[in-house]
Amino acid sequence: MERVAAARGEITEIVGRPSSGRTSLLVACLRDVAQSGETAALVDTEETFDPASAAQAGVDLRRLLWVRCGGRRDVALRAVDMLVRCPGFALVALDLGELVVRLPATLAFRLKFAVRRADVALLIVGRRRLTGASATLAIETRRQAIEWAGPGPAPTRLARVRTTTAVLRARHAPPAESPSRWWRA
Amino acid sequence: MAGVSRFACVLVAHFAAAAVERCEPALREQPLAVLTQTANIKILADANAAARERDVRSGMTETEAAARCPTLVTRPHIEEHVAAARHALLEAALAVSPRIEDGGAGIVYVDTAGLDRLIGDPEAIGRRLVHQARTVGLVARVGVAGSRTAARVAAASASVPVTVVAPGRERAALAGVPLGVLDLDPPLAATLARWGVRTLGEMAALPREGVTMRLGPAGLRAHDQALGRDHEPFRPWTPPPFWEEAQGVEWEIESLEVLTVVLEPVLTRLCGRLGAAALAADVLDIRLGLASGGHHARVVSLAYPMSEVKPMLALVGLDLEAHPPPAPVTRVAVSAHPIRAQMGQGGLWQPPVPAIRDLVSVLARLAALVGTDSLGSPTLVDSHRPDAFAMLAFSPPTEPDAPAVVGERPARVDAQHVVACAGPWRASGEWWDTEAWARDEWDVALGDGALCRLARDRLTGHWYLDGLYD
Repeated sequence: MERVAAARGEITEIVGRPSSGRTSLLVACLRDVAQSGETAALVDTEETFDPASAAQAGVDLRRLLWVRCGGRRDVALRAVDMLVRCPGFALVALDLGELVVRLPATLAFRLKFAVRRADVALLIVGRRRLTGASATLAIETRRQAIEWAGPGPAPTRLARVRTTTAVLRARHAPPAESPSRWWRA
Repeated sequence: MAGVSRFACVLVAHFAAAAVERCEPALREQPLAVLTQTANIKILADANAAARERDVRSGMTETEAAARCPTLVTRPHIEEHVAAARHALLEAALAVSPRIEDGGAGIVYVDTAGLDRLIGDPEAIGRRLVHQARTVGLVARVGVAGSRTAARVAAASASVPVTVVAPGRERAALAGVPLGVLDLDPPLAATLARWGVRTLGEMAALPREGVTMRLGPAGLRAHDQALGRDHEPFRPWTPPPFWEEAQGVEWEIESLEVLTVVLEPVLTRLCGRLGAAALAADVLDIRLGLASGGHHARVVSLAYPMSEVKPMLALVGLDLEAHPPPAPVTRVAVSAHPIRAQMGQGGLWQPPVPAIRDLVSVLARLAALVGTDSLGSPTLVDSHRPDAFAMLAFSPPTEPDAPAVVGERPARVDAQHVVACAGPWRASGEWWDTEAWARDEWDVALGDGALCRLARDRLTGHWYLDGLYD
């Protein structure tokens, strides 16, 4: 996957259905942050992050702070609130998984200003959008096709998935749809 | 001035009251008295200047003092306060001169020999001492003279922060000072008062033999002091191997929030002392006196040597939250293991990483939130099990990454791929000497178009950027 970067000092949201490639996009962001020598934090609400596949994708795990929240939404939001106030992290990612969280507008604005002050990129990955108008960019991932693989006629493994991304909200550009990409399963 | 001894005396008046004011700075402007319990009566052990202006004196009963000054604030005499303030004053003086002497509570003698080249004239040395005392929360006066006695008398009798007695002018400078500054024994003071001796000049004018015959060794010592002579040799003081601050409270503390409020000034004083000596704390020993009579002790290992109050307080608070005291707290004592901190600076071209003091604090808070097992950097373990990983403490590397190498050739520099590469150009020299060197040089073209020369030290294996073609 090509170089991906979340904007610093802004909130970026990636939403999508399960297996639509939203986590792959998150891992790509973590990879690029770590490869540039910076540090990232991942608040993993449902503890679904797989270090092995992240390392395989090129994430330098030494530069990643992984916070596992055991399915507790409130804990995850408090952890994000702490991390975005700690200057020095290039990226703070919140993976909400399949949890549907409603965030009051006041809290969303609070996060927005904290992110701007600490100059950190906040990336929120989930099923639905969380921060409303506070997000600078919102992307939806959509699955288009899948490929199976195996030595014989009956496939034994999922090989790769084709995904497209659509911009739902962009403060500086109109919504648009990008060309689809393949990602490894 | 070479060869002539000069001493400074750092004097904190009404020291017991000053020690209380150091713990509660809000009391500085109010009339304050420190009480001791004798039988069933509370007696004034000391009073600050504001109380003395209202005719409150040591030795009065609390009732008498309250009658003279209705707005008088009283505090019990706590020995730990005085001991901590005494140590703090000694350490403050030690930051100016390596040769100091403990002259008792609130008095420190400083040998100023050689300080003129480092700090300046005696006036500047005095100002530096006053400033150092202020950094540890004490308001001091300084006298500088040819002897410790003359310096102390000059400091005690002056109304300005710094008094300098010119060399050889000690006797003249002290002549008009009242005899009361010498703190003589009451019988001796009464005898001299009957003789009509009221100033140091009148005492110095008495015949020495006659004073010795009539008043004995105490009179001879007083005569020497009046002349500005030291009676005893200089006894240098060295800092003790512990740094401790304590706070007693008059009520029982049951909640952690209130305990944090009490801990903050204790840590502030401790950090002030550490900062004055250019030290940092590595480990804190917290000792809480409990209402049940027992103690609750905690050892808090700080993640990095620090002398800042805020992160220290956060770490202590989080530790006490995880291990709360079993009973209400009535006394707090904190001692630090001091070490000399090495200052560091990040590389100009390195990307910013979280400052250690911020990171330590946020990691401690996150650990309290999600648990220590759920926090850290994942690392893969050598196993065929698909979900095998281990969690390590989060400690991002601070050094820039060495270029990724495929075989012998560099393949990636930072985030940029090497698209073309020439080398190695091998060079070595001085292999016959201790300063031997050997390196491989590579000219590379990076993905962003940059052309640079990389070098690998063959002796250490380290890679570095040798130059950029432009």
